Amino acid sequence: MDFTFSFTSFLSLLTAVSLAPLFMGVILKVKAFFGGKQGPPWLIKYYTLIKLLRKGSVYSTSTTFIFKLGPIISFVTAFMLLLFFPFAGLPPVLSFHGDVIILFYLLGLGRFFTVLAALDTASPFEGMGAAREVFFSTLAEATIFVILALFFRLSGSLSFAEYFTGDQIVNLWSQSAALILLVLIALFIVLLTENSRVPVDDPATHLELTMIHEVMILDHSGPDLALIEMGAFCKMLFYSAFISSLLYPFHTGSGLYNGLIFSIIMTLIYAVVGLVESITARYKMDMVPNFILTSFALVFFATILTMEFVQ
Amino acid sequence: MIHISDIFLALILLSVLLSLRSNRLMALVKLMAFQGIVVSAVPLILDTAHGITFKLIMFFLLLVFVKGILIPGMMSVAVNKVVVSTEIEPIIGYHASLFAGLILIIFSVYITNHLHLAMAVQYKMLLVTGITTMGAGLILLMARRKAITQVIGYLMMENGIYLIGTALAKEVHTQYVVEFAVLLDLLVAVLVMGIVLNDINHTFDDVDTALLGQLKD
Amino acid sequence: MLQFVFFIPLIVGIAVFFLPAKTGRLALFSTAVIHALFTALEWFKLSGPLHTKYFTNTPDGMLVLAILSFLFLFISLYTVFYMGEVEMSKEPIFNGSMLLFLSAMSMVAIADHIIMLWVAVEATTLMSAPLIFVHRSKESLEATWKYVLICSVGIALALLGCFFVIFSMEMSNIQVPISFTSLTTVASQLNPVWLKAGFIFFVIGFGTKMGLAPMHTWLPDAHSEAPSPASALLSGALLNCAFLAVYRCHQLMFAAGLGEYSSNVLIAFGLASMLVSAVFILNQTDYKRMLAYSSIENMGIIAVGIGIGGLAAFGALLHMIHHSLVKSSLFLSTGNILLAYGTKVIDKTGGMLQLIPKTGVTFFAGFAGISGFPPFGLFVSELLIILGAIKAGRYVAISIFIFSLILIFAGASRLVMQMVFNERENNEILIPEKWTRTLPSILLLLTSLALVIWLPDSIYQTIQNSISSIGGTVNG
Repeated sequence: MDFTFSFTSFLSLLTAVSLAPLFMGVILKVKAFFGGKQGPPWLIKYYTLIKLLRKGSVYSTSTTFIFKLGPIISFVTAFMLLLFFPFAGLPPVLSFHGDVIILFYLLGLGRFFTVLAALDTASPFEGMGAAREVFFSTLAEATIFVILALFFRLSGSLSFAEYFTGDQIVNLWSQSAALILLVLIALFIVLLTENSRVPVDDPATHLELTMIHEVMILDHSGPDLALIEMGAFCKMLFYSAFISSLLYPFHTGSGLYNGLIFSIIMTLIYAVVGLVESITARYKMDMVPNFILTSFALVFFATILTMEFVQ
Repeated sequence: MIHISDIFLALILLSVLLSLRSNRLMALVKLMAFQGIVVSAVPLILDTAHGITFKLIMFFLLLVFVKGILIPGMMSVAVNKVVVSTEIEPIIGYHASLFAGLILIIFSVYITNHLHLAMAVQYKMLLVTGITTMGAGLILLMARRKAITQVIGYLMMENGIYLIGTALAKEVHTQYVVEFAVLLDLLVAVLVMGIVLNDINHTFDDVDTALLGQLKD
Repeated sequence: MLQFVFFIPLIVGIAVFFLPAKTGRLALFSTAVIHALFTALEWFKLSGPLHTKYFTNTPDGMLVLAILSFLFLFISLYTVFYMGEVEMSKEPIFNGSMLLFLSAMSMVAIADHIIMLWVAVEATTLMSAPLIFVHRSKESLEATWKYVLICSVGIALALLGCFFVIFSMEMSNIQVPISFTSLTTVASQLNPVWLKAGFIFFVIGFGTKMGLAPMHTWLPDAHSEAPSPASALLSGALLNCAFLAVYRCHQLMFAAGLGEYSSNVLIAFGLASMLVSAVFILNQTDYKRMLAYSSIENMGIIAVGIGIGGLAAFGALLHMIHHSLVKSSLFLSTGNILLAYGTKVIDKTGGMLQLIPKTGVTFFAGFAGISGFPPFGLFVSELLIILGAIKAGRYVAISIFIFSLILIFAGASRLVMQMVFNERENNEILIPEKWTRTLPSILLLLTSLALVIWLPDSIYQTIQNSISSIGGTVNG
């Protein structure tokens, strides 16, 4: 275990987490722009969180403690994820060899409890949403683990800190650019899947039957919902930071500038998510596995190619 | 150092994979246009040893025009004019096709490695890409019901063979008369297929190849 | 001068698309005559090629070109009168495509550059496609689609074969022009593994075009659905061209010392084709399909003969000449039969000797010829192949060979007898036969007969020259 309690690491983490809701606002703004509307204010997600935290929670009499546990665990796991992530090439707060595997299982744990909480309500809609969520995430997990295998071939390590700050940096601007290109597209597909964005799921839909993620959290309210929302922001932040790190072009030497460049790339990624949501329609439910499997196929291609050519 | 050619090859592989899972004809045609342009650019990027000559660039432009604009243009006219439903109707499903694509790339890497060729890594990559593209073209040819998809499969196969040719027979790419003749053949082939397709649509009111099963022993 | 054999038909062919039908017919025949003249000039070595980088006149190529030119003369004559009888809405397209087809096939015969050969063979597919679907019936469209797609894909594989052959050259660091002539001179230095792989793809690719089983599936459809003059051209001339492409590569293999390997491949494909056609010919209900399967069989015979080599190679090339003459005569006769009965189903024909005696006799004589009866050339050539095989000690191959011949004869003779001699209930025919439409097929048959009695020395010499590179000789 390698604890590096440095001030900058904490600072970068805090900055990132506090900016997460703002980034979500970017998506809304982009969508509004393409819809020819003005859109909600940039800080809308902060207002939502504050509003939710000021309310009280309502619990159905048929639910148990699991239902209350779900939001907490999903937020905590998502937040823990960020502790290990090297934002803008700065060393992360925590890091040890093999942390990536733990992290993806932490994500799985959070999802597991969200699903349990959904099932706990005994609502048929929520059960349906839980089934879909689990199915699609399972497919996406295959992609993630092939990516990890690929990164292990490229960098010889199993930790985010090593990937992006070590000797063998995994990056689009390195020698294995072609492979990273495929990985980037696959990761973007995973990002859309894991965060329930269009074209996999539509966060703005109003019909329970067509929902995936939103339907699971219908019964949560007040601070619980705020936790879930915040967890979702962290998760989204994690994936886009992952992609940004792969895209990150050069280090300037000054941490401030690095952070600035990193934030710009992050903003661009959120904007692309918004763009995708604006120009594509949501897939039919039976086409979604096809979409996710494409990401798997892409990274699989990339991995096969590394097996022989990139030593 | 970044190999630009690798990025182009990755883009070709991407288009191959997407075409295997694509369920819309129009999307497939657009993918073919994209693939055609990238494939045309490959010799230009790899062949830096001879230097970039005026002829090379002119030929590249011609290739892009034919493979990236003319042929896809003809295909999209055919799609708009001929096809009633734009679903592709696979005989072998999308997942199975994707899976076949994965097996294909393992296979082509395996072949390329066991040939023990003394060539640069980029050329090996090119060979892998070529074999995969060719195989995927064959899959499209056999596993899709619409006649238009079969033409697209044929084109993709041709692209793959062109890439293999670029990897193996570098000599050919300096003989523009020959390459031009091959290109002309491809163009006429698509034209003839388009005309037959049009007549099939007139006669059968569809372009489903399942209807073309009258002649047998 | 050599290039004129494909330039002239190309230019006239394009012009014919825009000319009225009557003028087109005239242009068709006159181009055939001019083509024959140029071929004769070339045959007697009165002129050489203009641009030797891509084209050359090899003895085998000249043989194929001569057959093509000779056949086309008669087929175009037939077409002129045939067109007078049938209503064809797109006649200019048919005539123009005939000429373009001629052009493409001539190009195959004289091509020397490997990729040029490929381009020419692919062009034959594309130029002949309009000939098949000119009727626009459902069946003909299906046949065309299969033809274009299967052949294009097959020939695309042949392109891969071309690249492999070129790569075998680059691997040995040899810098010569990529033509068969210059590759043959350095053949022993080529990389054998890649050459073998290239040959396999050549055989698969061009074998598709040649109708070798199991890549033959397009052939019965295309040959039966095309109008009869086109069928005659497809069967008599196109298959030879595809064969020539395979043969060129076989010669290269021999020069590289891999002759045994390529011979075995050819024998295997040849025997497979013969067996397949034997099986399918037995219960055939359509007489044009029957003839199409017979073409597959004969291509198999040629492949086997070339594969065995020696005396059999001489027999194989002789077989190619006679098969072209007799088979196109037969297909021209089927045109008359189709006009008279209006159907391709064997059961609905019959009594040809009473109803259309001239065609009936020609058809029956042609059948006797194609089955290898003594007065005709196929008897001689098949005998030579069998003798050559026995000399070479290939007993298993030749047993299968003879077995298939017997099977095909038994199957086809039943059908032909029924067509020619059976009584027919109603003695009405749609369009009576005419001398103008039977004369070309009679003349083709007579040519075959004449060549048996007297084989001109120049043809004999050309065949000798063609097969000397694969160790073939008439003296065994």
